[in-house]
Amino acid sequence: MIDEVFVYALSTCPWCRKTKQWFDDSRIEYEAVDVDKLSGDEQDAAADKAYELSGGRRFPVVVINGEVVVGYNPDKFLQHLRSWGGGGG
Amino acid sequence: MSNEPRKESLRYLFERVVTPLGYKFTPDAELVDELLEAEVKLEQDLGAPYCPCQGRSGVREEDMKIVCPCIPFHRAHFDAMKRCWCGLFVHLDVTDPDSLPQFPPDED
Amino acid sequence: MTGPVWVPTIDDTKVREGAYAAVFPMGLGVLLVRVGGDLFAIANKCAHMGCPLEGGKLEGHVLTCPCHDWRFDVRTGALLDAPELAVATFPLKVEDGKIHVRVGEE
Repeated sequence: MIDEVFVYALSTCPWCRKTKQWFDDSRIEYEAVDVDKLSGDEQDAAADKAYELSGGRRFPVVVINGEVVVGYNPDKFLQHLRSWGGGGG
Repeated sequence: MSNEPRKESLRYLFERVVTPLGYKFTPDAELVDELLEAEVKLEQDLGAPYCPCQGRSGVREEDMKIVCPCIPFHRAHFDAMKRCWCGLFVHLDVTDPDSLPQFPPDED
Repeated sequence: MTGPVWVPTIDDTKVREGAYAAVFPMGLGVLLVRVGGDLFAIANKCAHMGCPLEGGKLEGHVLTCPCHDWRFDVRTGALLDAPELAVATFPLKVEDGKIHVRVGEE
């Protein structure tokens, strides 16, 4: 049951940090990027992707097995994690 | 250089803005400190204390709507959460900010 | 201050239609604004972070703060997006060609 998790974050946002911490504590592997720490085209591309996925400019944007969760919301994270019995949408 | 004096100024200025709107600083003092620190740095780097948890677009008209306190421009959404997006401000009656969910505007 | 007082400021002709002028009755920053022939007096200080409103764009009755684009109705002082947040307004009258502003209200 491998979960694919990607976190779009801002380095300035405590809720982004809490989100990463939650996945750390839950021992779930994830990839993450602090969009504001990138530069130039890389930053634009990551920001545009996060805005497109979330339909807004709010962070964190968490993609769990293709499902998008906007904001620090552990209940929603669990819903989409296969390893926790979620992933059904 | 310490950011404390500017943080204190923002505290004073923002308190006057959010109180008439029915909000107060979150009782989570550590979170307040972290967010104000981030805003002071954003103000130094970019010229305005933008929301630390929202991304800028480069379009002034949009970006000015996420300068703290941004409650006037997202009121229905924040009222539904009883907090602003980054959690710096909560409704006046909130005593347990950790119980407040963070959700995007179309999920309320 | 002991109570409200009328303070003479500038000549009525100095405030053109669709424009404003900054004055300082008793040291207080006030903007005199003329729209549709009517004069209004509002505090020259944004309700957000205290920026001077002078330098902002006036469109109809709406004055936009030059710092972060907060928009105020010069008739009431109210912020368009949240009327609870308003800048102060002041009574005024024109006497002998001069605009007088009443300041010192509690």
